[in-house]
Amino acid sequence: MLPKFAYVRASTVEEAAQNLAADGARVHAGGSDLLGCLRDGVFETPLIVSLSGISSLQGISRARNGGLSIGSMTKVAEVAADANVTEMYPGLAQAAGVVASPQLRNQGTIGGNLCQKPRCWYYRGEFNCRRKGGSTCYAMVGENEYHCIFGGALCYIVHPSDTAPMLTALGATLNIAGPRGTRSVSLEEFYVLPADDVMRENVLEQGEFVTEVMIPEPASGLRTSYRKERDRGAWDFALAGVALAIHFDGDRVADANVVLSGAAPVPWRSREAEQAIEGREITAAVAAEAADAAMANARPLGKNRYKVQLFKGLIEEELLAIGLS
Amino acid sequence: MKNEEVARYYTEGIDVPETADPAFDQEPWPSTRVVGQPVPKVDGYERVSGTAVYPADIVLPGMLHGALLRCPHAHAMVTAVDVSEAEGMPGVRGVLSAFTPDDPATRAHSEYIRTQLFDSHCRFEGEAVAAVVADTPYQARDALRAIRVEYDVRPHLSDERQALEPNAHQVHDDGNQSGSPQQYERGDVEAGFAEADVVLEEEYRTETQMHAPMEPHGCVASWDGDSLTVWESTQGVYNIQPAVAAALGMPLSRVRVVGHYMGGGFGSKLQAGKYTILAALFAKKTARPVKITLSREETFLATGNRPPANMRIKAGIKRDGTLTALEYVATATGGAYGNGGPSALAWLTQNCYTCPNVRTELQGFYTNAGPSRPMRGPGHPQNTWSLEQMLDALAAAIDMDPIDLRLKNIPTVSQTIAGNPPYTSTGFAECLTEGASTFQWREKREEIRAAGTDSHIRRGVGVSGGSWAAGGGGPPSTSIITLYSDGSVVLNMGASDIGCGTKTVMAMIVAEELGVDPNDVRIEHADTGTTQFASASGGSKTIPTESPAVRAAALEVKRQLFEIAAEEMEVDASTLSLQDGAIVSSESPSEPREFSSITGLRRRRTLTGIGYRGPNPADKAINPWCAQFCEVEVNMKTGAIKILRFLAAHDSGRVMNALTYRNQVFGGIAMGIALGKTERRVLDGVQTGKMLNRNSLDYGVPTVLDVADEFECVPIDPGDTEANTVGCKGIGEPATIPTAAAFANAVYDATGVRVTGAPINRVNLLNALAASEQGD
Repeated sequence: MLPKFAYVRASTVEEAAQNLAADGARVHAGGSDLLGCLRDGVFETPLIVSLSGISSLQGISRARNGGLSIGSMTKVAEVAADANVTEMYPGLAQAAGVVASPQLRNQGTIGGNLCQKPRCWYYRGEFNCRRKGGSTCYAMVGENEYHCIFGGALCYIVHPSDTAPMLTALGATLNIAGPRGTRSVSLEEFYVLPADDVMRENVLEQGEFVTEVMIPEPASGLRTSYRKERDRGAWDFALAGVALAIHFDGDRVADANVVLSGAAPVPWRSREAEQAIEGREITAAVAAEAADAAMANARPLGKNRYKVQLFKGLIEEELLAIGLS
Repeated sequence: MKNEEVARYYTEGIDVPETADPAFDQEPWPSTRVVGQPVPKVDGYERVSGTAVYPADIVLPGMLHGALLRCPHAHAMVTAVDVSEAEGMPGVRGVLSAFTPDDPATRAHSEYIRTQLFDSHCRFEGEAVAAVVADTPYQARDALRAIRVEYDVRPHLSDERQALEPNAHQVHDDGNQSGSPQQYERGDVEAGFAEADVVLEEEYRTETQMHAPMEPHGCVASWDGDSLTVWESTQGVYNIQPAVAAALGMPLSRVRVVGHYMGGGFGSKLQAGKYTILAALFAKKTARPVKITLSREETFLATGNRPPANMRIKAGIKRDGTLTALEYVATATGGAYGNGGPSALAWLTQNCYTCPNVRTELQGFYTNAGPSRPMRGPGHPQNTWSLEQMLDALAAAIDMDPIDLRLKNIPTVSQTIAGNPPYTSTGFAECLTEGASTFQWREKREEIRAAGTDSHIRRGVGVSGGSWAAGGGGPPSTSIITLYSDGSVVLNMGASDIGCGTKTVMAMIVAEELGVDPNDVRIEHADTGTTQFASASGGSKTIPTESPAVRAAALEVKRQLFEIAAEEMEVDASTLSLQDGAIVSSESPSEPREFSSITGLRRRRTLTGIGYRGPNPADKAINPWCAQFCEVEVNMKTGAIKILRFLAAHDSGRVMNALTYRNQVFGGIAMGIALGKTERRVLDGVQTGKMLNRNSLDYGVPTVLDVADEFECVPIDPGDTEANTVGCKGIGEPATIPTAAAFANAVYDATGVRVTGAPINRVNLLNALAASEQGD
């Protein structure tokens, strides 16, 4: 049922990186997305390199700079339940807690959640679309209810992760290992828009993989939240989601990070919403104004205009809620 | 389909035998000791522990595994199939396609399968193109990938609403209309509209819904000489047997079909699949047992669906709530084959409410999509979606409570059967009144109106009535009960238990009559090799069909037992009764006799009673009735809908088992919520015609978080003494018939916006809210 592949379970980061240098080799973290892609024929691979034997990639710990370090192989369920995460960044616990289903959260890893493939049903289906090297984006004129309203060009996927927008709002950085050593990339610069390269979702080169998620220390006055709207109560991707990481100075917003999920091919930072609330108290009028501003430049497709209204309602409610929290 | 055909859809294409009359008169139970109690399933432990063997679990020595290659296009001609690479792969034992030279197997087909096994003209995505059998399922699937097929891809038609457009692609040579229009008329519709104070007209649509049973379709086939045994995941072994025999040119006596456990069907497992025939063919060619289990994707493409429906209703009503006229024109598609698209789509319009002037017209169209199959109440949930929303709109137009409007138009006689026979029982009015009372309908409506529209979080309540074309059951059925001298019992019957609890209810009937524990009744069933004919479990008629036959068999055993005991006890048989597993005479109540102490029984070793299902009463109509009530909370800004409560008041006659009855009702509501809120088949109609959401993630079967927070079940038993000898009617299908419509009416009550197209998901609700704002 799965195409043939070789399998290596690496015991060190270096060993994994060396193996992954092979052309077309793929990382196996929790496998919940990888196996689905292989079964559905989204791609084939000659070699799968499992990171499950690398103990250094597991776990959540306080970083020396006061922030938090999350090993990339930490299960999504562990992130959702972790005491430090819940205390320092409740929005991240919320985001991890609404990923997929309990079963998938127990199997899926935070690294895999950040690096998962898009859920576009043309990409996942038997369609040779642009993202798979073809010449057509079927979603452009086809069934695009669940596609993007920002950042689309050539391809109109939305980024499927719930944790990515929250970690982007928190200013997280990813530590990356690869055949040529290690590097760090801020999450905001990690994802790639289709206009820049339609066949990749992030900056990882062949052989590279995420080893650690570094989240900076929460400054005093930081409030965070994540809310996801979906058609089903569980086991569904976001129709619309909003991650908030807002520094309050008293009742006023000192600095805001508003990042949308289900909106664009990458976690979509809404500078318009941020500017609309910065320096102000979040009153009902301000929240509504920010929600309108966030959607002012939306470019819906034929069948996803409803998302504009949905995002407006969601952003307005979430901004009001975080202002009162 | 005509009404009598609707009631018989589960035996489509099957010659139904006649059985003898029941041996003697059976009086209704004055009271019951076991029947009606909440008795856990007698096979509950087996099902939950995993020891129950479903067809997908069967492993036989030397068993091979088959898999089908399916056409990836909505419409294509297969011009060449190259299987040479696949044939040479490890473990591969055989490959078949339309191009297998001189293989009679490739021509095997039957009237039941309707097309050739491999038809090179593929009219829907998922049509079978080739098949492989190999040592392991993995090898079989690998080999499928190695088969090279050349397709000549043709234009397709995905949307039946475009079937008559001048440039529409013709799915079949004789056009896109499947069958001629089904027309029905009574009274004078125009006169009825002229008489009305208010006339409303609206169009409604429901989308294609998949059956999605837990166990996908599949079977195991094994030969012993010239005899074939098939273990099939089916709703009726006697539907599979003739299909297989005909396809393979075999006598019925040599085809044994077994269907003990199966993981759900909902109407999609009433017939043999091509996979059934292929498993038998491969098993013969390889002289090995062969298993074929379809993938979820294959079942979504090729094993049926509830067809979409487009319904236009024009309705007239007087100010006092009297319906004066109903005009109903609907179209549907049964996909590339079959004429089942509009099946039973007008039955409720014609029957559910009293209306002297009714005209209905149904038309099916072919499309290049997977064929439809009956699905839990064929046509009915679609019909309520339109009819019951229209009744709500009428109630609003004449400022009448929706319950009162429905109560004003309760039928007591069949309006469509010649001679207008009365119903054996109708608890429709009680379903509405007792349901409303328990739901606190009027209080809740007042509370909602008092809350006003200041908040963007709004509540609403909705109701829908309903009935079901079938559900009365009827002959034939033959059951055999064997009582052993130690008091233990075997029940032998042909019927399947497709998860509804049939075995448990039958064991309870045996227990009721013979005084034994239901768990002590061993059941042999659903096996053409060892049981008598039973029609398939469909139509909500298994319990009302089988119960009287089982009761008759039990009574016959009891009669024989009492005859023997009376002689030994030197009393008259009429003085005997059963108490706690012993025989007691009213003449010597302090001297109960254990079964094992009856010498005559010990000598005979067994007593056997045969029970037959008697005929239904002449000149009477038998139908279940229902009303469901729903309360929702809607976020007007985000379009999120939370279903707070569902209450179901059903008249399905006697409740045979309070536990399985409730389960049926709640399961039906969940499936109705799926139709109304979360599920729909999405085709890439504009481009390729391919199905886009062919898996459980994208398709949207509701989770436990998506069905109601609270369920309540209010059984209404009108004490039916005429329908049959146990007084029950079917519940399985009625349970899902009013659900989606009640939900839609609740959403309207909350939002003031009528969403006429199902499902009411985010996309459709937010679009409707936006459209209504622009309209303001």
